[in-house]
Amino acid sequence: MTLLYRGKIALVIKIILLAVASAILLMLAQSAFAQKEYAISAFLLISVLAMNYVYLTSRSVPFKFFLPGTIFLFAFVLAPIIFTVVMSTYNYKTGNYISKQEAIERVIALGVEPDEAGTTFDIVVGKTSAGELAILASDVATPQYFISTKTKRIDLVSTDLTLNAYGVATTAPNFTRTSISDLTGNQDYTKIKYLYSDSYFISIEGQDVGAVFRQTLKYEPSTDTFRNLINGTIYRDNGKGNYADSKKQILEPGWRAPTWFSNYAKLITDDHVRGPFIRVFIWTVIFAVLTVLTSFGFGLLLALALNKPLRGRRMYRSILILPYAMPSLMSILIWAGMFDTEFGAINNILNTHIAWFSNANFARSAVILVSLWLGFPYFYLISTGALQAIPTELTEAAAIDGASGRQVFSKITLPLLLQILSPLLIASFAFNFNNFNLIYLLTGGGPRDQLGGEIAGATDILISYTYQIAFGSNVQDLGLASAISVIIFFLVAGISLYGLRKSKVLETFE
Amino acid sequence: MNKWLKENLWRHVVALGMSFFALFPLYLVVISSLNPTGSLQLTSFIPREISWNNYKLLFDSPAIPYLTWVKNSLVIAGAVAVISVFIGASSAFAFSRLRFRGRKTGVQILLLVQMFPAILALSAVYVIMERVYRFAPSLGLGSQTGLLLVYLGGAMGVNIWLLKGFVDSIPIELDEAAKIDGASPMQTYWLIFIPLAAPVLAVVSLLSFIGTLNEYIMARLFLVEMDSRTVAVGLQQFIGGQYSQNWGPFAAGSILLSIPIVVIFLSLQRYIVSGLTAGSVKG
Repeated sequence: MTLLYRGKIALVIKIILLAVASAILLMLAQSAFAQKEYAISAFLLISVLAMNYVYLTSRSVPFKFFLPGTIFLFAFVLAPIIFTVVMSTYNYKTGNYISKQEAIERVIALGVEPDEAGTTFDIVVGKTSAGELAILASDVATPQYFISTKTKRIDLVSTDLTLNAYGVATTAPNFTRTSISDLTGNQDYTKIKYLYSDSYFISIEGQDVGAVFRQTLKYEPSTDTFRNLINGTIYRDNGKGNYADSKKQILEPGWRAPTWFSNYAKLITDDHVRGPFIRVFIWTVIFAVLTVLTSFGFGLLLALALNKPLRGRRMYRSILILPYAMPSLMSILIWAGMFDTEFGAINNILNTHIAWFSNANFARSAVILVSLWLGFPYFYLISTGALQAIPTELTEAAAIDGASGRQVFSKITLPLLLQILSPLLIASFAFNFNNFNLIYLLTGGGPRDQLGGEIAGATDILISYTYQIAFGSNVQDLGLASAISVIIFFLVAGISLYGLRKSKVLETFE
Repeated sequence: MNKWLKENLWRHVVALGMSFFALFPLYLVVISSLNPTGSLQLTSFIPREISWNNYKLLFDSPAIPYLTWVKNSLVIAGAVAVISVFIGASSAFAFSRLRFRGRKTGVQILLLVQMFPAILALSAVYVIMERVYRFAPSLGLGSQTGLLLVYLGGAMGVNIWLLKGFVDSIPIELDEAAKIDGASPMQTYWLIFIPLAAPVLAVVSLLSFIGTLNEYIMARLFLVEMDSRTVAVGLQQFIGGQYSQNWGPFAAGSILLSIPIVVIFLSLQRYIVSGLTAGSVKG
């Protein structure tokens, strides 16, 4: 056993492990660097350095214990938190998802138009005798034949060419056809603009068709603007991640651009965002409060009922904590099935035909009922524990002084109980505030008016609403979603810290 | 008799009522898993006919790779449970026992970090892992290893915090005695702390295991392919709102998954409940 942490064998094992870990991380750092992910690359590099420094020297003993945990916490908790905050200050959504450099390239690529006649040619891809990528274009109708590269166009006469049955040229002097097997997997030739005339070029549209286009948008790097070559319109960086002209017409796509607090401002000023946000926020609070109150109420009632030796108490206890022991995910899905309109057991028993999840109030009642089912065993357990922690002298003394059972409960037991349990009640509130699984798997946040473009549903809580904004609708608005996440975090952190302070107060009492 | 009624009747009424409420969905799942037609329709409370057809479907039907899903879940949740506690325990030990500069700040940061619900950073994690995918596809979006790493990070904060609480309750005299006898911090850790904390480590592992098994949305965003899904995502997608069609096999699958967890939970409930009242909430 001693060998594990002292002696030569331990040293060898340590060095081997360190070397392997360093090698893997360095390899990753290098490939991250190659993909221009500098932040990730730097993080990996620092991790390697820190690892070797901490484990090869004896400078810091605590860090030998900390380092693995710290690396994980940083990479998968702190970094995403920081990233969330950063994203919340960006215009970061569908249409503004890529970097500015990529966006400029895309705008240039999209800023073309076909010529008026919509001219197309039959083409064959190959190389000139100089080794340059080229196309051999044929217009069977005219007929017209030429070889075109990026920079020049050579017109040909049909007598120099081999034509196939349709009159399409297949070979030409100074032109070597590239075989189809060489073309597959190589996309370079499709990106080239083959010269057609002064302002027009041919772009490859399919396996053997080329169409005539001209560039309509030109990028001017010196002024960072786009110019429409046909009508002269200038498009400027509008500071929100798009190039826009004076009439606020924007060029697609845009890029993710820093817009500071605009996402937060939208929550206050933009009616389309503010309305649903406030509605969802109110329901979130109602949902969390009702869940805690009902679960605690029923849990406490049970704890009181079973707080004395009773026939079958053990059996009751085992049954009552079953909802808590079940994997909650499965229970939620089971409940969702039970509320099914056509086949669900609930309608079956009530002999009704209610579309539970299509009506806002029915859906909300269903959510509260299920969260009560999931939550009451926990409160039963902790209330039982708390009841046993209340000294019997207190209640007995009150009883001797002539207090009725009800008075003892309301004047002594309940206040003490609330004092003991308040941190847990607050923690439970914070947990339900973000109970994503319940909402998402039971009602999906619905009902919502999808045709009306509504993102927020009647049972959506803030966190599921955030998910809908980020992933659930046509426009994925990661910036706005992050802003709401940051707000939720401050709310939850505030609530939790308050709860923690309460429990601290309690500790000093004891 | 009258006194007994007055004293105890309401207790039984309450307990029976709530027991019925607690059992109702579970009973329903059990009987529908045994229903040969696999229907969700509740024809009667007592099954007229018992068939294991739904269970057979689960194992034989190529349309439901149930065993693969279970295996994926067990591997991922098992790895999270073991690795996160292994790593978390050493950090918790350092926070609780070693004295060093910045310890207080460290504890405060940890307190804040473990409060942050992992799901809040969902979009950020998604974007980061999408970028990781571009240079290391086996670690990025779509890979189980990537999901495992994200889970490990997410479990770390809470686990360190929980374990720190437990370590704080182990009498410090034991360490001090070891220190006087000349033990290094490493020796104290491996020879004193780990054996003492073993049951606690097991409980925290178990909580991470159940928490990971219950995790849905990251697994859903990460694992797209049918065969790489976890059982939670697999079963959810399998019923996919079509409760009438796939209810039978779903019921059977969820029962098979739940039984071991319920059994472990019930047998360890004393430890788990004490851990829970120490401030954590099961997910």
